[in-house]
Amino acid sequence: MTSDITIMSTNLNKNILKNYSDYHVITEEFTEDDLLKYPKVIFYEVLDKKREEEIKELFSLLKEHHIDYINVTNNHEQVLLTDYLIIYDKEKVLIEGSTLEVLKQEKLLKRLGIALPFMVELSLLLQDYGLIKDIYLDYNSLENALWN
Amino acid sequence: MELKDILNEYGLVGVISTYKFTLDKEKRVKDLHIKNLDKALKMVNLEEEVKDKYLSVLSLDELFKIDLISKLDKDIIIVGNLSSCLNYKEREFIKKLLLKLVNSYHKKIIVIDNDVQLFFNLVKLIVVINGKDILYKTKDFYDDNLYKYTKVPKIVELVKYLNKKGRRIQETTDIYELIKDIYRSVS
Repeated sequence: MTSDITIMSTNLNKNILKNYSDYHVITEEFTEDDLLKYPKVIFYEVLDKKREEEIKELFSLLKEHHIDYINVTNNHEQVLLTDYLIIYDKEKVLIEGSTLEVLKQEKLLKRLGIALPFMVELSLLLQDYGLIKDIYLDYNSLENALWN
Repeated sequence: MELKDILNEYGLVGVISTYKFTLDKEKRVKDLHIKNLDKALKMVNLEEEVKDKYLSVLSLDELFKIDLISKLDKDIIIVGNLSSCLNYKEREFIKKLLLKLVNSYHKKIIVIDNDVQLFFNLVKLIVVINGKDILYKTKDFYDDNLYKYTKVPKIVELVKYLNKKGRRIQETTDIYELIKDIYRSVS
């Protein structure tokens, strides 16, 4: 099975890449052909300019070719695009696990300065108001839960 | 109208474009000749020990902050990559600092980023540029034309989605305002 991971950190530093020395690090613009040469790739702050759909397509392509990938980012929306999330505090792993399980540790993440993805934060707030019971990641399900 | 004229009118402008740090990464922070370095470091929450570090080993947030303080003596400050260099907490801190620089020290600031969400509660005008050409400008975060050039923030996307479904939600960039409006709508 291909592993797909997002790494966020309280302060991103390339030193964390030492823990993933078997991965090829991508820090600048790349082509699909560049990626397919390697069994494991790390995107280091390089996907931020891409739209979510483009990133999803890219990750699907990597999965199709059985390439493991890690996305290192400060963009909290991108964490939902992988199944596993690792949070570093400087150079130490602080929490890791399935993405939604890690995101449930809302208070700790906020204390670290890491925001929740918008749909997760909105769902949690709507839960506080008693309007919904679950976390909804897509607009259609949220709308159905709220109005139907 | 040129960007300089826009700056004179607005003081702090958000620009959709790409930004590359131009600092010499072979240098140490203390070799950059930053005025009142100790005070400047304190202002951006950096420890004194950063002074002896080479720029090449700085973390992204440190690099951003050094880039910023290296320009504090200029009338027009251009900063970029806030969204990719800083975590949420640091972003909010720097946004407050930029507003203070404009409001209290009369600096003019251009913030370059690709993430429109960063400009919420920061700029009154967003400009899209390509090289030196101004392609588009708007004050409206819900302006569809803006998103021909960049990603739509989630809150904008959701409100537009709900309104297409006839839910009559107010256009807002504040999650708490959105919650209140949803609450009113479903109750």
